[in-house]
Amino acid sequence: MAVDERYMRQVLHWGKEKQRRLETARVLVAGIGGLGATVSQLLARAGVGKLYLVDDGLVDWPDLHRQLLYTEADIGRSKLDIAKERLLQINSTVRVELLPGRIDTSFKLPADISFVADCLDNYSSRFDLEVCLPSGTFLVHGGIEREQGQVLTLKVGNSQPLAEIFSGALQPAGKIPVTGDGVVIIAGLMANELFSVIFGQPKLLNRCLVVGLGDLHLSFLDV
Amino acid sequence: MIRIQFYSLLRLLLKEEKLDLPACTDENIEQLLQRVQKHFSTPFLHKLLDDQGGLHAGTIIMVNRRNILHLESLETPVRDGDLIAFFPPGAGG
Repeated sequence: MAVDERYMRQVLHWGKEKQRRLETARVLVAGIGGLGATVSQLLARAGVGKLYLVDDGLVDWPDLHRQLLYTEADIGRSKLDIAKERLLQINSTVRVELLPGRIDTSFKLPADISFVADCLDNYSSRFDLEVCLPSGTFLVHGGIEREQGQVLTLKVGNSQPLAEIFSGALQPAGKIPVTGDGVVIIAGLMANELFSVIFGQPKLLNRCLVVGLGDLHLSFLDV
Repeated sequence: MIRIQFYSLLRLLLKEEKLDLPACTDENIEQLLQRVQKHFSTPFLHKLLDDQGGLHAGTIIMVNRRNILHLESLETPVRDGDLIAFFPPGAGG
């Protein structure tokens, strides 16, 4: 199979130049749970050159309704290991690097990353991640809770920090209520924005897309 | 005129996306909130403020793109032409 054949349908849409940009992009996906499992899969399918995955979790039963990379057979296994295995089955031309562990302020970002997908599930780790990013890094944030979600792109050093924008946001105690369809919609929007950012045409830079899944409502909040 | 925008659960609760109010002299966010409440039959201030009138965690209040926790909190002045946003973000992933 020729590479051209694999990507034919999307190249018909966005052209060869943008496909080349994808193939040289290095993206870090922070969190391979609900959002991260779908975001990383869409990036791999599209042909992003190199993916770095960060997580410290094991696959558990409450993950399976929304974390599309995992199956019943994976229960108890490392999410990172399974994710790499599945992503390479989907697209063996993509390089996948694993960064096991939990993100805190001592997290060391590999030097060749320009784009980061915040697929984390808590504000503390999100704020710690942002602190570790060098100036100029594009951070695509996603979040979801019940029927409300948001996607936002920040350029570190130029944009307001995520920690400042989301000061006072509430981290619910215990497990956060989410559905599989809602998670996949927000993850799809994150992937859409990541492609735009990689192409040099971010749509949500300093602009939060607020998604109401209950009544299918979209609005924007400039930050 | 001051524009107030409601997002997520507040938009659903109040069934409005935005409200325009004339500016008042020497008004701050706390006073503006009381004025906004008068426009709605649905009580919503309890979502933003605790019993002592302090800010609840959960909903972000922004004035011209800045979180009021990085301005003067509820005492942040509100002026003609300001854009105010109430946004409870989703935390999960």
